[in-house]
Amino acid sequence: MLKSKKIVVLGHFGVGKTSLIRRFVTDTFSDNYTVTIGVHITKKVVEISVDKTMSLILWDLEGTDDIASIRKAYLLGTHGAVFVFDISRPSTFQHLKEDLRIVTEQMPDIPLMVVGNKSDLAEESELKNRLQENSISVDFLTSAKMGTAVNELFLKLATLLSSDA
Amino acid sequence: MLREYQEQYANTNEQFVFVNKIGVVLESDNVLFKIAKDSSIFDFHLFFESLESLFDGNEEEETKFHCIHIYIDSDLYIVDILAVVKRAGVLLIIKNLTDHYNSYQTITQTRNESVIKTELTVLKNLELQERERFKNSFIQNFSHELRNPLMSIMAISELLADTKMSNEQLQMLKFLKESNMNLRLMLEDTLSIGMIDAGRLEIEKKLFGLQRFFEFIQFTYTAKAKNKGLKFVCSWDGKIPEFVEGDRLRLFQIVTNLLDNALKYTEAGTITFEVQLNQKRANKASVQFRVTDTGLGISLENKEAIFESFFREDASENIKGTGLGLTIAKRLLELMGSKIQLTSELGKGSDFYFDVLFKYPLLSSIEAIPRKNSQEAFIGSLGKEQRKFKILLVEDDEYVQTTLFKILLNTNRFKIDLAYDGALVFQEVVSNNYDLILMDANLPNVDGIQITKLIRDFPFKNIKDIPIIGITANAYQENIDQCLNAGMRKVLIKPFEKEELLKAIAKALK
Repeated sequence: MLKSKKIVVLGHFGVGKTSLIRRFVTDTFSDNYTVTIGVHITKKVVEISVDKTMSLILWDLEGTDDIASIRKAYLLGTHGAVFVFDISRPSTFQHLKEDLRIVTEQMPDIPLMVVGNKSDLAEESELKNRLQENSISVDFLTSAKMGTAVNELFLKLATLLSSDA
Repeated sequence: MLREYQEQYANTNEQFVFVNKIGVVLESDNVLFKIAKDSSIFDFHLFFESLESLFDGNEEEETKFHCIHIYIDSDLYIVDILAVVKRAGVLLIIKNLTDHYNSYQTITQTRNESVIKTELTVLKNLELQERERFKNSFIQNFSHELRNPLMSIMAISELLADTKMSNEQLQMLKFLKESNMNLRLMLEDTLSIGMIDAGRLEIEKKLFGLQRFFEFIQFTYTAKAKNKGLKFVCSWDGKIPEFVEGDRLRLFQIVTNLLDNALKYTEAGTITFEVQLNQKRANKASVQFRVTDTGLGISLENKEAIFESFFREDASENIKGTGLGLTIAKRLLELMGSKIQLTSELGKGSDFYFDVLFKYPLLSSIEAIPRKNSQEAFIGSLGKEQRKFKILLVEDDEYVQTTLFKILLNTNRFKIDLAYDGALVFQEVVSNNYDLILMDANLPNVDGIQITKLIRDFPFKNIKDIPIIGITANAYQENIDQCLNAGMRKVLIKPFEKEELLKAIAKALK
């Protein structure tokens, strides 16, 4: 039986969580910003290796500027998490350390990917400086718009979950 | 069993589903969705697939999920789901709140868009401010660095003019001086626009002779127009007060920018400078300045654009300059509370005009205004006794130092000592009786402003009262104020002319 894993994608509003999932699942992108309320759930089967697949159930959570206010029920039974911020809006990563502390406190012992999205909005060197200035280390710099590093992100997470299983 | 639970929680928008501990549907009232008996709830929707871990919870344990989006046959339901663990399985109560959540979505969409837009606007403004700061600091540094060499070129050209030269050499020197003057004007333009942009330019209100201002314009531009084969007509209303309070330098900059522009774009005909009194009331006079030409003219679509920095109606390479003149004139007039007006017709010429409101004083208060004297008269004013005045020249730039040294020695009225380093100046001042100090404001180790303060605080009168004339390449008003507040009598901005230097020295030595 194909093993399913629940992944929550969370972060402040407008950082591109829905766009990342849409790019990963349907390989499409829209410039129109439609706010997500509550949760949207989608699924994608990924091939981890030649004879190994995994079904990722992606919970696209409503963005909030207060990570502590995320409803606990959404996080129940989560296998992996993706925390997304917008590299072009400092308000979404100004309190990143505190945000991540809250997330890991609520979901201990699960793989967590920290993702700076909208990487297409800055030059690579400028981006690195910006992250360095804010003492931020990220797992992936993605661009849902351009498709940069999106598949790699979810594949990496799936691989981690596979080795955890 | 289901009926029992329905009685407990019944609602027309709610669906009750009871599943066993492995997710098989035992009963469903199908109020909202058709969920077949004996099917797996995990197959009904992805949401339930992630609920497996809840099924082993304690009896009566409740977990509520808000705002879950469920698509059934392409219809969207936004529901709250309450999962209650029971002894024999799990009760799922699904409440349809689609309308409620759609309203919430609209409100949230508006709120989030507004917050993001505000954030991005703030960021954009910060970025623009940062660019503006960078630009102004670049202009400041750039003009500062240019002033020293330019000062040397100008002064050495003047010294060369006093030597024996062939006609050909004199001609070349004339071109050199003209080029220097153009370079200086361009530098002033660039600096002015930087200062205006940075909000660091303040309009002065000092008494000056408007009549003499007109005479100077008339003299200068008659010659300039003649050189280009043009006629220059200059006229002013005799009722305009002779002396007014205002910023002579900035008014001069506005008028000369307009006149230079007229000269640049006129190949034949007349340039007119006309000044009219609009009205006099109490001690205020409104004066209209008008510059008219018979040049290229400005097309209707470019009437606004010509006041933008670096814009040119005619982009041909023959037209020289920075393209900042009209921008500066417009911005300076705005600082004076006025506005530049333009009427123009392509191919026929342009007419620029503006009004300036001046305060003017009673006649008795203008006696003290000094009349312009020649350089010789100033040197002569140093006194009949031909003693040589002792000057300490404190300047670290070798070229400026040499230039000033030569200018001063050529007058045969000064003995000059040199100092390069701020830290050594004080020692020199204490061991010598100087009549005057020429002090560069920016020196290594201890700057000129600090040294001036130290000298002014010295207990002995012969030292603390030595007149100090500051020299600086930093033309910003705050820098000049710092120098004056420290105790300098006068500050000369590089590049300055020989006459300006000698005049300042003569005044300080009086």
